[in-house]
Amino acid sequence: MDATASAALVLAVMVAAYIAARVLKISTELSLLAAALAGALAGGAGLPARHIVEGAFTYFDIVLIFVSATLFMNLLKESGGAAFVVRAILRRFHRRKSPLFVLLAVLLLIPGALTGAGSVTVLIMGGMVATVLSYMDIPRPRVAAIIFLIAGLSAAAPPVSLWAMLTAAGVNMPYVGFFLPLLVPCVVLSLMTIFILGRKARPVDLEKALEELPQAPPKMTWLRVAAPFLAFFLLVIAGRAFPFSFPILGLPLMFMAAALAAFLLSPVKIAFLRTSRETVHQLLPLIGTLTCAGILVQIMALTGVRGLIAITTVTLPVTVVFLTLFLILPVSEAVLMWGAAPVLGVPLVLLFNTIGLDPVVALAGMSVIWPLGDAIPPTAIIGRLTTATVGVKEPYGQFLKHGLVPAALIAAAGTLMVVFSKKLSFLTVF
Amino acid sequence: MITVLYYALTAFVAVLLVRNFIDRKKWQEEVLYVIVLLPFVLRILRLK
Amino acid sequence: MSPMPTAMTMRKIVIAALGAALGAAAGLSFYQSRHLPEPVVPGPGVTAVKKLSDYFGPLEGTANDVNVYVLEGAEPGGAFLVLCGTHPEEPAGRLAGWIFAENASVSKGRLFVILTANRSASTVTRLGGAYPPDYTIVTPWGGRTFRMGDRWSSPLDQWPDPEVYVHYPSRQELAYIDIRNLNRTFPGRPGGTLTEKTGHAILELIRKERVDVVIDLHEAELQYPVISTIVAHEKGADLATLTSMMLSSEGGFAMGVENSPRALRGLSHREIGDNSDAVSLLLEAPQPFLDATRGRTDRALLLTGRDEFVVRAGKQGLLFEKIDDAGWPIDVRVGRHTSTILQILEIWSEDNPGRAVVAGGVPRYDEVIKSGTGAYLKDVKTADPAKIVYE
Repeated sequence: MDATASAALVLAVMVAAYIAARVLKISTELSLLAAALAGALAGGAGLPARHIVEGAFTYFDIVLIFVSATLFMNLLKESGGAAFVVRAILRRFHRRKSPLFVLLAVLLLIPGALTGAGSVTVLIMGGMVATVLSYMDIPRPRVAAIIFLIAGLSAAAPPVSLWAMLTAAGVNMPYVGFFLPLLVPCVVLSLMTIFILGRKARPVDLEKALEELPQAPPKMTWLRVAAPFLAFFLLVIAGRAFPFSFPILGLPLMFMAAALAAFLLSPVKIAFLRTSRETVHQLLPLIGTLTCAGILVQIMALTGVRGLIAITTVTLPVTVVFLTLFLILPVSEAVLMWGAAPVLGVPLVLLFNTIGLDPVVALAGMSVIWPLGDAIPPTAIIGRLTTATVGVKEPYGQFLKHGLVPAALIAAAGTLMVVFSKKLSFLTVF
Repeated sequence: MITVLYYALTAFVAVLLVRNFIDRKKWQEEVLYVIVLLPFVLRILRLK
Repeated sequence: MSPMPTAMTMRKIVIAALGAALGAAAGLSFYQSRHLPEPVVPGPGVTAVKKLSDYFGPLEGTANDVNVYVLEGAEPGGAFLVLCGTHPEEPAGRLAGWIFAENASVSKGRLFVILTANRSASTVTRLGGAYPPDYTIVTPWGGRTFRMGDRWSSPLDQWPDPEVYVHYPSRQELAYIDIRNLNRTFPGRPGGTLTEKTGHAILELIRKERVDVVIDLHEAELQYPVISTIVAHEKGADLATLTSMMLSSEGGFAMGVENSPRALRGLSHREIGDNSDAVSLLLEAPQPFLDATRGRTDRALLLTGRDEFVVRAGKQGLLFEKIDDAGWPIDVRVGRHTSTILQILEIWSEDNPGRAVVAGGVPRYDEVIKSGTGAYLKDVKTADPAKIVYE
């Protein structure tokens, strides 16, 4: 049997195992694991303990970021800080929709832009922004769509865009010239998203809102709320401004420092251990997905399925590649997450380079599209994180439906950036 | 020094994972906890 | 007794035990490949085996305090450094270095060989990459097994990563993970991470030993534009061009030349040339195992370089090096490296008689292909145990 047939067979077994597991009411995470194990067996690798555990390690650092960032936000919520901020924003902006929308979009863009992770945006800002938007009579699934889409754009936004960085590293291109090609679409599309999805928003009924919202503890002050965030951003900026004298802390430790600040400055007593345990349990579906997706990626590489997908994609006619970027990139993201950058990003950028496109602008365009995949199964990692953070009770499909129009705009903008990358290359100045 | 803090953080999360594993009532959650726990344990043991 | 139902307790014990078994099996495999001993039987030319910490003390006791094989000729001359294992996942470079360490003799000048420049990276395999833990080169007396390794230092030796890596001293921002990539951390930083310290230590060796030419051995995926070529710092442009011409006309294989780009920071061909008196060159051989489109990932692919999917990519015009069903066997890749090094040595020594380095005993391209890499690896069992060194 040739390589294509055998890899296709393994892929078919993996898909069948995934579907069978879902039919048997097995969770998404364990279904991914089942697909991986079935793939290993079908590929003749038996039960490869080394590869399973090595795959489980793939997103270990991201798991640590998730846990520490969520712990920070949960401690802030417990301290009453979140309620305090939401009340203040509502008081100040309840009648002025446009400035409020711009403020919220910027608030959502910052954490992801600095860290490269849309999940950080959702975890840090998602809850608060959701509360504000809900009081403007925007339905919850639509609120979640706004937060998810801007969080995705924040991840693609400069200075840190992991898809662009990982792909650039894979083709030995310096991560230079990406700032404007990433910033312009991310800011414009974020504003479009919030204004399109929030067009039916009504002014906040301030009295009703303030009555319904949880009271902030009387001793809560701006300083107590702002200090943990300040600590976090100071640590990020210090690392960037003094990279050679400031120790390398890494995001998890920065979030733990912020968490510690939130805990110490809380005007009310917080059960730290209980909050920590609840945080981990709240995150189980997400960190479970990351771990099992890592295993799946490893088994796909082991059995040649990864290569089959990559070679099939890059040998499509170029027009077909252009027209299906909106599908290929999100789907690869949904299965591989950042692993999509080395698997598909690298061959695609080299393909675009060979046909005379500007690789920087093309990669920036792709980076804008990629995060859309975080809402679609099998992993749907940030989509699920967002609906959980926002507290969406409606079916997941509702959330997807609300996001469709701006998502289509984002995909179209990214595709046009790829197609017309040569004409846009004036953007690659720094 | 920073590295030591990372091992401490890893151990802390590992303990949380184990405690939650013990409290679970559904087998699927138990399996998932064990899978998620694996990298934590191997990192603490400095095996990977 | 706890009030928990026994069935549930039993179930938990079974699940935990299965997890423990999985973890133990994998953990054992990780431990074995991290600690797999790689013997070196120093050849007739090796006059001393130093440590990298001899040039930069703080490396002592770390994973990257690697061996530096010194081959000093009777006649004085110049000095060459052959750097292997900057990326251990590119095995042809390390194997070519092994052939030099176990076979070369030097009559004039000094030759320094580092087999595992980033030793830490040689003790892990790529997360999500499904690399085999090791590979074996067949020899007339059996075989030698080597650690597979990765492109990046092990997190067990360097943790955590920053959220973005700022290169020293250029301040260029690179992907966070490349702070563990030795070929992105040159010229290194004495107070930096292990990988940055390693880069600094290598620069210290180059400066203290007055090295004239540094040759860094690599392999590249065929979809990568810089392949089958010498990447040369501007100081080495003529040397590289002459070498390429000689190899392409008489050496038996085509070899290109590329100028080291000024915008790409942290790479050996750029930073070593910029930060020392040495000429810096980097050699790339083709390795289909690294291609993103590769099929089944296993030892066979690593050693034969045969892959249907990569061939398909070639037929679509997506590759920068040709490939057919013959693949790119390890002996071809190793032979390209040994021949290129020998050619550079010859041209340099003709042009710089006062700083010449004359070496022999090393097989060229056609000899490596004919006899196989294994023919030039010494039998550890019959070697003097007192002389064996481990990587």
